[in-house]
Amino acid sequence: MNWVNAVIQGVMLGGLYALFACGLSLLFGVVRVVNLAHGDFAVLAAYLALVVITATHVPALLTFVIVAPLFALFGYGVQRLIIQKSLEVSPLTTLLVTFGLSVVIQNALLVFASADSHSFDVGRLTSASLRVTPELSIAYVSLLIFFTAVIVLVGLQLFLSNTAMGRSIRAAADDQEAAAIAGVNTRHVFGVAAAIAFATVALAGLALGTYSSFDPSAGPPRLIYAFEAVIIGGVGSLWGTLVGGIILGVAQTVGGQIDPSGGVLAGHLVFLAVLALRPQGLIRARLAA
Amino acid sequence: MLEVRNLTVRHGYLQAVTNVNLALAAGETVAIIGANGAGKSTLLRSIAGLHRPHAGDISFDGRPITRLASHARVRQGLVLVPEGRRLFPSLSVEENLRIGTTSGRPGSWDLRRVFHLFPWMEARRREPTVHLSGGEQQAVALGRALMANPRVLLLDELSLGLAPTMVRRIYGVLPELVRDGIGVLLVEQDVGQALRVADRFQCLLEGRTTLEGRPREATPAAVEAAYFGRSGRAGPPGAP
Repeated sequence: MNWVNAVIQGVMLGGLYALFACGLSLLFGVVRVVNLAHGDFAVLAAYLALVVITATHVPALLTFVIVAPLFALFGYGVQRLIIQKSLEVSPLTTLLVTFGLSVVIQNALLVFASADSHSFDVGRLTSASLRVTPELSIAYVSLLIFFTAVIVLVGLQLFLSNTAMGRSIRAAADDQEAAAIAGVNTRHVFGVAAAIAFATVALAGLALGTYSSFDPSAGPPRLIYAFEAVIIGGVGSLWGTLVGGIILGVAQTVGGQIDPSGGVLAGHLVFLAVLALRPQGLIRARLAA
Repeated sequence: MLEVRNLTVRHGYLQAVTNVNLALAAGETVAIIGANGAGKSTLLRSIAGLHRPHAGDISFDGRPITRLASHARVRQGLVLVPEGRRLFPSLSVEENLRIGTTSGRPGSWDLRRVFHLFPWMEARRREPTVHLSGGEQQAVALGRALMANPRVLLLDELSLGLAPTMVRRIYGVLPELVRDGIGVLLVEQDVGQALRVADRFQCLLEGRTTLEGRPREATPAAVEAAYFGRSGRAGPPGAP
């Protein structure tokens, strides 16, 4: 039963990783930008939620109503004002710029919020769990995060497949120049893609603060896991991102079951194995094809 | 309707287009001919907003558009069918066509009319474009441009890589477009094809206009001289 439990907890954890990874995957798949500040933006969103909770006393779980739209706007601005500019210089510049953003965010948080770690108080939900069998139970928080990830990914897929803006995003991801001459304002479209990516990263930050805790330096490890989920699943495929997150999560919990200190290592090893044996990822697909 | 004055376009140190003047009226078809590297595509791409000119002006309906982004030119009705089709591989045939409506220009062109023009397309609307033949892809590229309800169509090497029957079929739709009052500016390596459909033509050599006029009034020798420069070698491919 311990093994079944490990796998189920791993799947749930995979939801958190997938939530982290989908914004990274979207931004890379559409705008061709590797956002090295991705994890830090998630942590920034978590701090923003803390501010919102302190100022308005809304329950922690409802802060996404405020934080996600704010982050979407923020993402549009970051894309149009910073990333787009560096993209037009060279792809390498975008790496430097996002790395710089990562450093700035971490240090700014240290200055303004101290190095203390925080987590969200979700009341009774913290320890409540769904009892599947007498020996197997799943925390409601884990379930909530997992289903949030699934809803976000399904919603994103439906949006990309069925709306005019989604079509424009896919066209611009395929061929920016051809999209421009077909009448697509590619800078605006990239801005919208970044807005969506930032809204999902905000959700990931809130999930992180609910599932465990965060401090100013919590971003970079999250970025690594998100990268691994994207690469295991296959770059540019949203389903792949979910699958990649789940595989990484299961590898970590099952690895942890084998050796309590070996969980993270097991995740990295699975990632390396996929990278070596199937570098295109497990699911090969274009964005919402 | 479309006017290009003293246009000069550079690619780094290379001057691809030098002091080119050009005018196109509604319902008129003008062909740009010239050898490889004569600057034809660069000229067309500059008009579509894909190259920033070094000097000169482009105006549309008397308004300057030289600094306007590509998508904003589409919104005014200036639409390019690019060389090599440039369809979107992640999109189906129908989605490729619908991308053309992004600019939101009103007009008579919609999916129904494109399907009427190319009847095979309707049954294959859900297929990805990679399954299509070169000629079919060219038809989708043309359809995508028409969905934007263009007033001027810029056609870059429509015939490239297509079988002669397919070329005839694609060019066969031009009269209907011209009757609608669409101005057509086309670039062709196939000189014979270009001169058959054009009201006027302009020959480029190393980025400069060497000859312009009406196809009927130009002698093959004059076209040949303009095409290759004064020294003149063999006749231009497909010359009348």
